[in-house]
Formats: sequence, C-alpha cells, structure tokens
Amino acid sequence: MIGLSSALLIGGVLLLLLLLLAARGISAARGLAAKSDLPLCDDADFVTCPQEFVPKIFSRVDWEFVSQTKSPKLVKLFRRERKAVALLWVRQTSAAIQWVMHEHAVAVRGSRDLEFLTEVKLVLRYGELMLLCGALFLAIQSAGPLWLSGLAVYADALSRSIAEAQQAFAAAATPREIHTLGPV
Amino acid sequence: MLSQLIAWGGITLEVLLLLRGLKGKLAFRYPVFYAYFSFVVLQDLLSFGVYRWYHQYYPTVYWLTEFLALLFGCGVVFEIYRVGLSAFPGTARMARNALALVFAAALTFGLAQAWTDPRWWMEAATTDIEGALRAVEALAIVVLAALFLLYSIPVGKNLRGILLGYGLFVGTTVLSLEFVSGSGTAFHHFLSAAYPYFYFLSLTLWVAHLWSYAPNPVPAASVRLEREYQRMAAATHRRLQDARGYLAKAVRP
Repeated sequence: MIGLSSALLIGGVLLLLLLLLAARGISAARGLAAKSDLPLCDDADFVTCPQEFVPKIFSRVDWEFVSQTKSPKLVKLFRRERKAVALLWVRQTSAAIQWVMHEHAVAVRGSRDLEFLTEVKLVLRYGELMLLCGALFLAIQSAGPLWLSGLAVYADALSRSIAEAQQAFAAAATPREIHTLGPV
Repeated sequence: MLSQLIAWGGITLEVLLLLRGLKGKLAFRYPVFYAYFSFVVLQDLLSFGVYRWYHQYYPTVYWLTEFLALLFGCGVVFEIYRVGLSAFPGTARMARNALALVFAAALTFGLAQAWTDPRWWMEAATTDIEGALRAVEALAIVVLAALFLLYSIPVGKNLRGILLGYGLFVGTTVLSLEFVSGSGTAFHHFLSAAYPYFYFLSLTLWVAHLWSYAPNPVPAASVRLEREYQRMAAATHRRLQDARGYLAKAVRP
C-alpha cells in the first residue's frame, strides 16, 4: 500500500536519525555531553567575520589583478587560497546558524507556551538556510568562489533583461486591451 | 551454522534481557517496554508450539499475535514519548501536534487509497496491512527522534537503548514487509537473510543499554519562559533573517 519508494524513504530516514542519536550517545559516554550537540562555534553571535569582508571573498577584482601578472603559479595559488577562505566562511556561517537554532531550542524546550506553528516556521527557515549553505558549499567546491560571483552577475543581467522584456510586452499589450474594452 | 548460532544467541539475549530487567527493577521503570518484550517472547514460544503440533493453525496464530505485538509496540512509542519528554512540556506539546499531524496524514492517505481503489481492502494481504501500520509507527518514531535531536533533549542510556533497538526493528520490518511482495529479487533474498541479524542487533542494543538502571538526565535549571517565549521566538527569527541576508551577500553582484 505505501509503495516501495515510500518504504525506502521512511526506513532510510529512520535509520539515519537513529545513527545520529547513537553518535550523540557515544559522545555523551565519552564525556562530551555538554558539547556534543553544539556546532563548532564559540560565539553566540552569528557574524563570524566583518560584513564588508564577505563580498570581497567572492569579488572578481582581486582575481583580475592577479591574472594580469600572467604568472600561472600565482594564479593557481590565488584560486586555491580564495577557495579555502570561501569554504571556511560557509562552514563558519553554517555553524553560527546551527548555534542560533540550538540556543533557541535549549531555551524554549521547557516552555509550556511553545507554539507549534511558530516553531515549524523557524525550523523551515533553518532548513532553508542549511540548504543554502550546502548549495554554496557545493558550488564553491566544484567551481570556486569566483564562478559564484560570475553566476550572480549573469543572473542579475538575465533578470534585468527579463524585466525589460516584460515591460516591453506590457507596453505592447496595453493598446490592445484598451481596444478590446471599446465597443465592438 | 551461523543462522543456528544467531537463533540460539537471540534466545539467550531475550532471556538475559528479561532477567536483567527484573533484577535491576527496570521492568517497573519501563513497564510497557517489558510488557511488550515479554509478549514477544511468549509469542515466539506459542508460535513454535503451534508450528510443531498444530501446523494448520500456524498462519492464524502468527498473524493474530503479530497484530497484538504491533499494538504493544505502539505502547512502546508512547512510553518513549512519556519518559523522554516528561521534563520538557514545550517539546512534548510539539511532539503531540506533530504526531497528530502524522496520524491525520496517514488516515487521509489510507482513505484516499480506499476511495481510488476500493478493492484494496478486500484483496490486501496481511503483510500489506501490517506494512502500512508499521510505516505509520516508523513515522511516529521518526518524529520523536527528530525532536530529540532538534531540541537537544538529553536521553538517558536506558531510553536511548529502547529507542535505538525498537527503531531499528521497526525500520527493518517496514523495509522487509515492502520487499516481501517482490519475492525473487536479489534485494528480497538479501533482506530475508539479513532480517534475523537485524533483530539480533536490536536485542544486543537492548541488552547493552538496559543492563542496569541509568536515570534519564534532568535539565539543571528549569527556566520559566512562559511569558518570554514569543520574545525569544521573534529574536531567533530575526537572527535567522540576518543570517539569510549575510549569506545573500555572497551571491549579490
């Protein structure tokens, strides 16, 4: 009745969650109970590096400057280092987001006034951010941070051209609508 | 030879678990789990006797006791919820709502299936019905395990053992019952062969975690947050929103 794919999904998710619980139990047994649930982040605030520093990690300005030197070694070194910095930033940000959620969970888990819908919204937002972090991590890992910037520029240009096309379409459609409104 | 070893090892572990449960008074702390487990042991003995001396009644007795075991199993899930979340009324409330949602979704799904294919109820094999009920039970365990992880609920050694062993048993049952219909496939043969080993693993987990009593950790200080919940939720929402903006900076041209 439930189907093979549903059975596989339910069984798989259940076994994965049990593994996570078992891992938590093992760390607790090793005396890491206090820290086992916490992400690798000491700061309660989520900003792990200055905000103005973030666009620079993904900026092409430094890359263009380095590529002008025409030194393959320097270019390779720059790519590698920039990628490492970008990946570290994603990891730190992800850990900080986990910390925010962990702090919230620990603070409210005993509250009698806990609201189901509010919590579901927070969990969904948390899931969205973790997915975003995962996608960023994969994108940087596979293509590098500079490609991400290029993709953003491309997406921006594409959305502008779509908006322009929409405006042009709306301008072309308006007289026809006015025409149909009149007497036939 | 190995299957014989697993069978005799399983019986030894079952007896050991019951003896330790009585000696360490764990049976009084987790009465539903031990009632369930005693029933499973009796079911094994009864099934063995009927199979040997009244073979024609074996299928009836087997499925009847299997459904009773499933009902007892639902009690075990309730006990995990009751013991694990007794000190966390907020999370217990979340669990109640989430479980109600799961049961409502399962009921709607079942009714929709019956509506689209009314013959299913007449033609469904016993394994199909058990598979569907076990899947709902597995979803209830998924909800509880996810809440334990999400809210960092401290779970004591005994309760963790019950949850891990029973979750493993239900998870593998869901998979194997679904693959029964696909008899002849390589995965079906693998699951049929592996099923006793998974049950043996569940028994090992139970014996290891329920050897002696280990109290469930209680939070050090109970913070009275009743009036502050909305403020805290709003603050968390704001912080996550900030994090979103922070991440967006990476891809903003």
